[in-house]
Amino acid sequence: MSALLELENVHAGYGPTSVLHGVSLEVPEGGVVSLLGANGAGKTTTLRAITGGVRWTGDIRFAGRSLRRRATEDIVSQGIAHVPEGRGICTELTVDENLRLGSHLRRDKAEVRKDYDRVFEYFPVLKERRKLSASTLSGGEQQMLALARALLMRPRLMLLDEPSLGLAPLVVRSIFEIIRTINETSRVAVLLVEQNARIALQLSSVAYVLEVGRVAVQGAASELQDNESVRRSYLGY
Amino acid sequence: MQEFFQLVVSGVATGGIFASLALALVLIYNAMGLVNFAQGEMAMFATFLAYSLVGTGMSFWIAFPVTLVLAFVGGIAVQRIVIKPVERAPVLTLVIITLGLATLINGLAGFIWSYVPRSFPSPFSADTVGIGGVFISYRDLGVIAVSGLVLLVVYLLLQRTTVGLTMRAAAHHPEASRLLGVHVSWMLALGWGLASAVGAVSGMMVAPILLLEPNMMQSIIIYAFAAAVLGGIESPLGAVIGGLIVGVTVNLAGTYIPNAGDLELAFGLGIIILVLILKPNGLFGRAAIRRV
Amino acid sequence: MNRIRTAPPRYWLVGLVVVLFVGLPTVISSFLASEWGQALVLAIAIMGLNILVGYSGQLSLGHGAFMALGAYISAILVHRYRLDFLLTIPIAAVATGLVGFLFGVPALRLSPLYLALATFALAVVSPSLIKRPADLTGGVQGILVPQPDAPPFASDAFNAVTGTAMTSDQWIYYVILFCTLLLFWLAWNLGRHRPGRAMRAIRDAEVAAATSGINVAGYKTLAFAISAFYAGTAGSLLALSTGFVSPDAFPVSLSIQLLVGAVIGGLASIPGPLLGAIFAFFLPIESNQWVPSQTWIPDQITATVKNAGPAVSYGVVLILVMMFAPNGIVGLVKAGYVVLNRRLRGAADRETGQVPPDPQTV
Repeated sequence: MSALLELENVHAGYGPTSVLHGVSLEVPEGGVVSLLGANGAGKTTTLRAITGGVRWTGDIRFAGRSLRRRATEDIVSQGIAHVPEGRGICTELTVDENLRLGSHLRRDKAEVRKDYDRVFEYFPVLKERRKLSASTLSGGEQQMLALARALLMRPRLMLLDEPSLGLAPLVVRSIFEIIRTINETSRVAVLLVEQNARIALQLSSVAYVLEVGRVAVQGAASELQDNESVRRSYLGY
Repeated sequence: MQEFFQLVVSGVATGGIFASLALALVLIYNAMGLVNFAQGEMAMFATFLAYSLVGTGMSFWIAFPVTLVLAFVGGIAVQRIVIKPVERAPVLTLVIITLGLATLINGLAGFIWSYVPRSFPSPFSADTVGIGGVFISYRDLGVIAVSGLVLLVVYLLLQRTTVGLTMRAAAHHPEASRLLGVHVSWMLALGWGLASAVGAVSGMMVAPILLLEPNMMQSIIIYAFAAAVLGGIESPLGAVIGGLIVGVTVNLAGTYIPNAGDLELAFGLGIIILVLILKPNGLFGRAAIRRV
Repeated sequence: MNRIRTAPPRYWLVGLVVVLFVGLPTVISSFLASEWGQALVLAIAIMGLNILVGYSGQLSLGHGAFMALGAYISAILVHRYRLDFLLTIPIAAVATGLVGFLFGVPALRLSPLYLALATFALAVVSPSLIKRPADLTGGVQGILVPQPDAPPFASDAFNAVTGTAMTSDQWIYYVILFCTLLLFWLAWNLGRHRPGRAMRAIRDAEVAAATSGINVAGYKTLAFAISAFYAGTAGSLLALSTGFVSPDAFPVSLSIQLLVGAVIGGLASIPGPLLGAIFAFFLPIESNQWVPSQTWIPDQITATVKNAGPAVSYGVVLILVMMFAPNGIVGLVKAGYVVLNRRLRGAADRETGQVPPDPQTV
């Protein structure tokens, strides 16, 4: 059985600058995989390659079908939700409108309603602030909105780019708890890009460490956590 | 006093015309960060199409929606053919392209219909009706009603429908919208189509008043700029209110200021300059914080 | 003598062009000389606009209004106060430059888009503003400008070369050419020295320029003043060349034509405005005459072009150029030069894989 998401020898870059030099990784159905590494290692570029935001060579397959030459909006409608760096909140719109953008492609009205209920269970603050402009939300609340919006797409795979960025530790912890719950209840696979390696490893089953555009280390998360030299050289703790 | 109210009412009617064209400008500005200098010429061309349709015996009230559809399609075509290939170009290039478009459309109209001014039939009778001692013409009421209806429809479309939501999202947040499955490129095209249709309304309402000829919209677009700038170039509501204010003010100035004559247009310029000096973001615009 | 021999090829090209222009009236008709004179007038105005847009990065769609100002100042001085026309040229230029300076001050506060809007509105409104003070400006009818005859020294020199007397039109052509050469040389110097560098820094990264200590406000207003100075000169010379001024001679399409010429020629360059002026001036005329004479173009297209007149071909060419060659003719030439250079230099450059920078950034 092939994995839900497969990257094979992916090279990618911006114009003449090459950032990824042959990255291969896999995300199994319903699994949580971390992509770690220092700033500039190419983690964000990897996610962008998957959803078509950057040119790549090699192969990227989702549910067995190649994503080569597909437009971002098509890739995303196949069932991949990408929460980008900076969350991508539409600040000109209200919270409710942001959520609706998440669900606007879906035809199954009854299920959409169920998902709204679930999302408001996870993030009650969003229900309170439905009619307000999204720009009034705090950093943590915006992260919640981004996650909620992604959930409303009922994706099979979520790409999360540094969800902990700029958030207080307590908030980070609760968000990651919710990500874990989402993964366990809805069986949504997660590819998690994080600089905070410690908390990412606690959540994932498998981890890849990128260094200067290549996979330097990969393996089960528990093994990486226990391996002190790996932790010190690559993960910074 | 009566005269004052009459002037205000016909000012509101003129304002409705300005507001429609200003709204078209704002829609495209929101989508692309540029002012479409060809908006007036596109509206003029659509009006000529309406003229031709009516000339074949079609009733105005059928020609009107048909023209809107044609303008809509035309707007999409322009976006697809001329604008999309260069959408990443610097603003100056895009501005010049819209200027080129304006020249092209003007020339095309002159070629097809010549520069001889024609009279455009108004669908409303020239009679006046007395309301509270003030005499208001059916024409003014008709213009107010039609403009108001169109603006209301656009508002509802943008704010209450999913299509409108995706259009707004595509305009303000193209990258984020793509990641949510919005076909940004097509939404921008729709925006152009919508703007073109709204502009066509402006043209068809003004043609009975001025004479229909290819240069007809050149002064109207100045007023529309003034209205858009006054209201805040990003705000559709501002465009409407700005349009009404400009319409009423210009009308009043034309009558009450002695020797105004053909200086009404200069008045429009004056408004633009005044607003830009005193309150550059207009009434409803947001002060843009420049990232340093 | 040594400096001439070792001068770079570009200088030779410039010298050749100057010689060509000086000799032009000796080989073409007087009427054509007058037309070329008007093209040169446009070149001056476009150079002024180029300084504003290309060097300092501010957009103006209203430079036709500045031309009108210069033209009317000269015309009024000649008509009312009986000044010699040649004397009025610098007066008109300086006066318009001052007005440009006054414009530049509030312009500082406007975003590029609003500046474009405001100047566009100015261009649309100026014909009616001119008509107003009718006893000064002659209202709708305008003012006739008597065209001077060639002075003896010029006429004699011309006679010696061609055997015919110099016509008034040809003398005017030389006056215009002189001003053009002078003003182009001035612009070239400006670009090479501090003002030019400062302006380009402002254009490319205004905030960075400000933090480097460049007086942004000062240079931007200076750019406005200088460009208005050029436009005023051009307007004055236009009045001389056509023999009259009227409000209808300065419609908004003139302002657009200037901007178009500036961009198509190539912004932030010296030859650009000249090339752009030739394009902007001759395209409408040529498309009307050249196309019908080409037998390989099908009749329907010919008929359309002829009837639609310059506007359609102008608009189409403009759009095509912007889509495929946005850096203008100069940009195309430079790009072609780069491609040629790389081909000639061969393998050595392929190693570095360097992408050449864009010829210009606007």
